[in-house]
Amino acid sequence: MIWRFGLFDSTFEPLLPTHWALLVALGLPLLLGVLAALFPPKRAWPVVLASVPVLASGLMLLSAYDQAGLLRWHWDIAGVQLSLRLNGLSVLLLLMTQVIGVAAAIYTPGYLRLSETGPLARWLWPLMGVVLSALSLIWLATDLLTLYAGLELMGLAAVGMLMLSGKVAALVAGMRYLLLALMGSLTYLLGVALILGHWGQLDLQGLAEVVEPGPVAWFAAALIGAGLALKAALFPLHAWLTPVHENAWTPVSALHAALVIKASLFILLQLWSILLPDTFYAPRVIAWLGLLAIVWGGLLAWRTDSLKTLVASSTVGQLGYLMVAFPLLLGPDIAPLTRALAWEGFWLQLMGHAFAKAAMFMAAGNLILATGESTLKGLAGTSRRLPLSLLVFGIASITLMGLPPSSGFTAKWLLLQAMVLSQQWWAVAALLIGTLLTAAYIFRLFRYCFDETAPRHRYQPLAPGMDLIALTLALIAFALGLLAHFPLELMHGGSP
Amino acid sequence: MTATFDAIESFDAIEVLLALFLTASALVCLFDRHLVRACYFFVAFTAAMTAAWWQLGAPWLAAVELVLGVGLTGPCFFYALGHVLPGASSPLERDKFSEPWSRVAMRVLLALAWFVMVGAAIRYVVADMAYAPSEHPLLVAGVVIAATALGAFALHRHLLRRLLAFNLLGSAVFILLAGVAGTSATAQALISVGLLVAWLGSMLGALLIRQLLHLEGVEALGRDGRTEEGAT
Repeated sequence: MIWRFGLFDSTFEPLLPTHWALLVALGLPLLLGVLAALFPPKRAWPVVLASVPVLASGLMLLSAYDQAGLLRWHWDIAGVQLSLRLNGLSVLLLLMTQVIGVAAAIYTPGYLRLSETGPLARWLWPLMGVVLSALSLIWLATDLLTLYAGLELMGLAAVGMLMLSGKVAALVAGMRYLLLALMGSLTYLLGVALILGHWGQLDLQGLAEVVEPGPVAWFAAALIGAGLALKAALFPLHAWLTPVHENAWTPVSALHAALVIKASLFILLQLWSILLPDTFYAPRVIAWLGLLAIVWGGLLAWRTDSLKTLVASSTVGQLGYLMVAFPLLLGPDIAPLTRALAWEGFWLQLMGHAFAKAAMFMAAGNLILATGESTLKGLAGTSRRLPLSLLVFGIASITLMGLPPSSGFTAKWLLLQAMVLSQQWWAVAALLIGTLLTAAYIFRLFRYCFDETAPRHRYQPLAPGMDLIALTLALIAFALGLLAHFPLELMHGGSP
Repeated sequence: MTATFDAIESFDAIEVLLALFLTASALVCLFDRHLVRACYFFVAFTAAMTAAWWQLGAPWLAAVELVLGVGLTGPCFFYALGHVLPGASSPLERDKFSEPWSRVAMRVLLALAWFVMVGAAIRYVVADMAYAPSEHPLLVAGVVIAATALGAFALHRHLLRRLLAFNLLGSAVFILLAGVAGTSATAQALISVGLLVAWLGSMLGALLIRQLLHLEGVEALGRDGRTEEGAT
């Protein structure tokens, strides 16, 4: 597991252009965010222009990885060791972050213009910049200090973004999220304290060599796990997620559900693969909770009357699939083939869900903005007037349901193969139940939309491109299944 | 008994005083219903923390604590109370929410369980601590404050008091971190980032509380994260 995360020595040193690309990828979103706060863009085209260098830096890092394999950076600042690594997985996650971040940014000017957002709107830009920069840092960082700093910056900026709508319900939900996230960060810090006290270092590569199973590793893993599970909204700790999304602005919800909660999950898997490489029970507990998450999230989404709650609850269920894959990745006596399949399935599911969920939130936001209604019943008759938004919603749901040939299907197929190979039949059952429940709540939504007897309303026209951006994201989620060999190759690259 | 007396004799008198003062000010800050006074005690607590870092041989941390804790986090709470100028009255002077006894009992049990867990972890799991609790009363104070602050965080419904409880829990965790890992450059960097996060979080929380007060009045602060329909 360790080498899969790129925690080994690199063969080549990064070249000068790669240093620059790294700097741009980490710093430019923040800088652009501050600039946009000073001069808020009114149209989409300045955002499109500004996002070109960001995406270019991601592509340059990709080509640098293609040529040289794993790359590492080390700094020693006044006795504090900081280190970054660039392997296939982090390039992939970085590109995903940039694409979704850019899409959300391009979507934003139109959204802000059409909805009454108030004077706080310009703060959205710097906060978005902080979230994207911190996320990029998290995918690359390999020491616990940088990971902690990135995680906290991202979390605080995310809280700030979610409350910008300024409604009382949003503020109350945001305050609750803030307090819980801060508690989660203290729990994580206690775990890190144990690690630092016992092994005397925070560098992941160094830790991977010295960590041995024992009470310290278990305590640290439990504390870190609890803190990160709270931040990632893993099943019994998910209750803050839905109210927070209920009142947030659409691009904020898209970024949060697609990327922010995934970062905590990424750190959790990475740290547990160092601290608990051969533990039997801990990954299984996560998986059982994941089973419950799939059922509970699906039921919540099925029973709700609010469109945003439906999309947010479905996140709880979809995270369950990732949790169910834990015992296929961590634990004693896992066959190499099973582990490889589960590894591919896990990250493909994570990426497919990120793109599909971002698209789905944007489509939901478009529907709510156009109809002025946020309940499912209010969507009656939208099939005639807003076919494009519904089409986006449909393509995104194909990925969430896991119908072929979307990335959801490929990911679930890989996970299913791994489960069958390791004979974990209950996990197979969880996967099937989840698919059925997802279909149930998606078709419940469409039943309302295709109600032809509804009276005609006046719909607010959307800004140009708002549907197209959502459509692009949904199509990327779809195409990741057809062109899966490219990400899968990257995920496995760099083996020693 | 003699072992206990030996242990007490080995304590440094200044450190004992500091530990006692930290615990006392934390208790007042956590449980005083007069919110302005609680905030004054929070500032006193952070000032004592500055001295504690100095005592533990971490001058850089003392400076960071002075700037971030006393200088920046403390005023956040007064801003949240609307008590910016001394002598100004605040609509939020007292916390009037009452808790049922069953809730209090549950939270006390939770705090005790946490206390036992942290104590056991420190005693048995981390055998080779940089600062042993038997020699440094500050660490004992850290464990006590961590347990009480967690209990208070779970007990209170007033948002400002929960924010105060989080800050105290944070400080206690930092003391424990320094006790477990020593005050190496890495540990100091970790704690400094933690202090920065605590300040940013408190600032965000204070802004939120002000906004909520402005929109909904004092009652909105006690709903424990629920909207009006959910709470009734």
